[in-house]
Amino acid sequence: MTSITETDPPLQTTRARDKREALYPYLLIAPSMITLVVVALIPFLYAIYLSFHEARFGRVTEFAGFANYASLLADERFWNSVSVAATFVFIAVPIEFMLGLAGALILGQNVKGRSILIPLLFMPAMMAPVVVGLLWKIMLAGSWGFISYNVFERFGMFPDTSIFASPDYALYALIFVDIWQWTPFMMLAFFAGLQALPVAPFRAAAIDGAGPLRIFFRLTLPMMTPLLAVIGLLRFIDAFKVFDTMYILTNGGPGTSTETPSILANKMTFEFWNIGEASALAVIVWIAFFIFCNIFYQVAKKRLNAF
Amino acid sequence: MKQSTKVTAALLAGSTFLSVPAWAQESFYTKAAEPYAGTTIRILDEVTPLQEKVFDIIPQFEELTGITVELELLGHAEVINRGQADMLSGRGFYDGVMMHNYQLAPMLTAGVIRSIDDYVADPALSDPDFNADDLIQRPYTTTSFTGGKQYGFNNWNYNEVYWARADLFAHPEEQAAFNEKYGYDLGPAETITQMRDIAEFFTRDAGETLAGETLEADFYGIVLEGIKGGSTFPTLWSALIKNYGGRLLDENGAPAFDSPETVEALTMWAELWSFAPPGIAEYSLVDVPTVMGNGLAAQTLAWSDFVFGVDVPGASPYAGDFVYGPIPFKDGREEERSVEADVSVVVISEASENPEATFLFLQWLASEEAQAALIEAGNGGVPIRQSSWELPAIADSEMTSLYAAMRSTLDVAEAKPKMPDSFEIMDAMSGIAQEVGLGRLTPEEGAAQGQAAMLEICTQCLMQ
Amino acid sequence: MQTSDSSSRSTLFWTGITVLYAVVVLFPIFWMGTMMFKPNETMFARPTEWFFTPTLDHFAYVIEAGFHWNLFTSFLLCTLSTGLIVLIGTPAAYAFARFEMKAKDDLFLFILASRMAPPVCLVIPFYLIYSQIGLLDSFLGLTLAYMTFNLSFYIWVLRSFCRDLPVELEEAAALEGWSRLQILRRVVFPLLRNGIVATAVLCFIFAWNEFLFAFMLGGRTVETLPVSIPKLITAQGVRWGEMAVVGMISLVPVLAVVFVLQRHIVRGLTMGAVKG
Repeated sequence: MTSITETDPPLQTTRARDKREALYPYLLIAPSMITLVVVALIPFLYAIYLSFHEARFGRVTEFAGFANYASLLADERFWNSVSVAATFVFIAVPIEFMLGLAGALILGQNVKGRSILIPLLFMPAMMAPVVVGLLWKIMLAGSWGFISYNVFERFGMFPDTSIFASPDYALYALIFVDIWQWTPFMMLAFFAGLQALPVAPFRAAAIDGAGPLRIFFRLTLPMMTPLLAVIGLLRFIDAFKVFDTMYILTNGGPGTSTETPSILANKMTFEFWNIGEASALAVIVWIAFFIFCNIFYQVAKKRLNAF
Repeated sequence: MKQSTKVTAALLAGSTFLSVPAWAQESFYTKAAEPYAGTTIRILDEVTPLQEKVFDIIPQFEELTGITVELELLGHAEVINRGQADMLSGRGFYDGVMMHNYQLAPMLTAGVIRSIDDYVADPALSDPDFNADDLIQRPYTTTSFTGGKQYGFNNWNYNEVYWARADLFAHPEEQAAFNEKYGYDLGPAETITQMRDIAEFFTRDAGETLAGETLEADFYGIVLEGIKGGSTFPTLWSALIKNYGGRLLDENGAPAFDSPETVEALTMWAELWSFAPPGIAEYSLVDVPTVMGNGLAAQTLAWSDFVFGVDVPGASPYAGDFVYGPIPFKDGREEERSVEADVSVVVISEASENPEATFLFLQWLASEEAQAALIEAGNGGVPIRQSSWELPAIADSEMTSLYAAMRSTLDVAEAKPKMPDSFEIMDAMSGIAQEVGLGRLTPEEGAAQGQAAMLEICTQCLMQ
Repeated sequence: MQTSDSSSRSTLFWTGITVLYAVVVLFPIFWMGTMMFKPNETMFARPTEWFFTPTLDHFAYVIEAGFHWNLFTSFLLCTLSTGLIVLIGTPAAYAFARFEMKAKDDLFLFILASRMAPPVCLVIPFYLIYSQIGLLDSFLGLTLAYMTFNLSFYIWVLRSFCRDLPVELEEAAALEGWSRLQILRRVVFPLLRNGIVATAVLCFIFAWNEFLFAFMLGGRTVETLPVSIPKLITAQGVRWGEMAVVGMISLVPVLAVVFVLQRHIVRGLTMGAVKG
């Protein structure tokens, strides 16, 4: 070290600067990384630890190996919950996505009173899920619900059942509620993205006389892709974990027709106090998402240049 | 002379006897609490109209003892989740936690509840005037004691009653039509068959006539809770299956669900569902009072607490039109009648650092004096003491039939069997109750699948 | 002339569509709004009663039960946690968008990974750890817990906004001899403003509505509004009017936040105006 300093001081400074240069991004992400390690990684590692132990009634007793995983994976109910959540996610999220994008584009037009309309339109996403659940109970509850009575009953729709009480419709009704609640969220996120796009390319395209469709597919969509991909992915993850509104409206029933992994995990945790198995469920869901997100990330990065 | 001495002695004795309790009680709690004055205890309980009034009487206890009581009231699921988490994690933030009777076995198995036997036996802590015999016995003995040990005093005798529309029963045209069809007089159902007949009789479509008026909307003969979880299965089990002579467990605690009696009861269950609003499988305690209060159904089996939120002027357009009765029994089985009740008890957490002070508070809260003050403050409510029936707020209440029904229910109400896996069992069975109600399973299949589901959870289901 | 005419017609058309959509979507909320003033007796009367004598009873109960304190707690907690997230998340999002790093993709996915497990499963591990270190029922504890799901959201979403930042401006500023910090403060953050605001608003709302962590890790000291709502579902049935009051009031602060901050999201020009 000393010899370098003596013989070639300028090189040293450049190297030092390079080094500092290279460290700079790590410095920027350090606070976030440290926070996440502390608040997310530690509890998760603890959950992994619990998943390998017998932990009935919150008491961690003996090492159980893969017993929790085995009993979970052998449980028909777990697989049922996965398929319920998959149906839920694959119907709800694409619809929310499309409606959200359409809404964002419409809001991007000359809309009068937009500063009032935006907060108002966003209201469903601002409501606590407990309230959303009760609100839709007020609307759709069998017989006494506002819509059930004034629309369904009057026009003879859904005879002999109510939406949330029917094993055939309950899941779709919950999907409907989710769409109602989360479309505004997508809309606002996309709208903000739209507003953040640089203006110059659009100006150029307009001067070239490009039509609105052409502008949308050639400019707006490609430029929005990163945000669309990220919001879509995050919403996808969140929708899979849906819990509160379901808990109020059907609590997984009738039978197990609307039981998602979160509803099941809630029962395992707070009713059966089988923390070991609930932790195993967390780990399995996590692994599945981790694989999925990795693939999505790689594909989106290469094909769509989204990241 | 002799005679008059006797009389004077009796009078003297009488007057001392009369004045002693109030004085003794006051001095007892003050003296007993001396070592604990200045401590603070925390109690977690469920929010109910009567429990909210406990806040009003806590100052009396604090003044008497110098112990500060921090009471926290939460919703049903929240009490269970937070209370159990606190106890199971050994955190011990709460000294006393409210337990529904079916929570006791799991929590006792986990070893997080402290028995109060030592305190009850300790003359320094045990109120000599407590008079435990006055507590309504069957709910008390089955809930507060397990395996010969005592774990608390009953806190809340949550119970179901039969609840129906008196105005419909009193309508002459309906009476005549009913008599003609079924051969007996219309009135509040005493038996399950009568309840079924009434349910069938009053189930009508929009456009038909009900009590002389044309219906604008469909009307239903009965409403029950039918959501997954909630009291769907407990009601089916205690108010129907047990009345039919069916059972969940045999004497040794092994599952014994698959019996002809259970099948018979499930058949009735499915039939009752056919006279209920189509939304029954989503109905929770959110819906049942709403449906009754808005005049959509003729009768129900429901928690008597609902009544206080519905059958009061201003709460429902039908306030004053209701009549109450004991839970109907199976014809010919009145002696073995069974009702649904969900009795709760506040227990002392094993992790509590102030068990004695907590015990003193719980004992005081269950005392005659405190209960009288509570019922007075709540202007009625579900009592835990026999003597409370005589209190003006109950005895002079206009809801005579409600209190009579409650009393009849509480005469035979008991805690659920102490099953460590009670949550798993309730969860599995409530799904089956729904499927039988919806007609997706026949009663026979329901009984068989219920038995299989039970066996998967436990072969010996009682606490050892 | 013709352009302005057609543009005013298109304004009318799009405004009409938006308002129509708003009316349909917002009807349930409007209905809940009327329930705030509805006497219990007519709450769910059949046939539906559209006109009724309003009552303020429900408000009286809500105030008496101290729900305004829950509102205050929620606001404080959400502002605190969102503020912290913006503070530490913004540089991270910028770094991920702008610089090359070793194992960048892995680090970036690690951030998202914190959001993948169902919260229901993680709340007990959190509870057990918190009860050991005394973080239960504290603002610090909940703020930290909210980082798990909001920080990852913030960094991921904001990074996609960062990509549109023109790198030339930063280079120019660097040539001027500005320090790193100056560039961040004077160039990057202002340019990112609408991305930061939009993402922060979304985070604020996630925190505002969060129930499970707030319930299990909170308590009497830190009891947020969503946690207080289930108390209205009593053994006696639901206090519908009160629920409507709390539900509607809980919208007000968020509405205010969105209303105030939206001017940062909406730039002066619209796409339509750009064309002309």
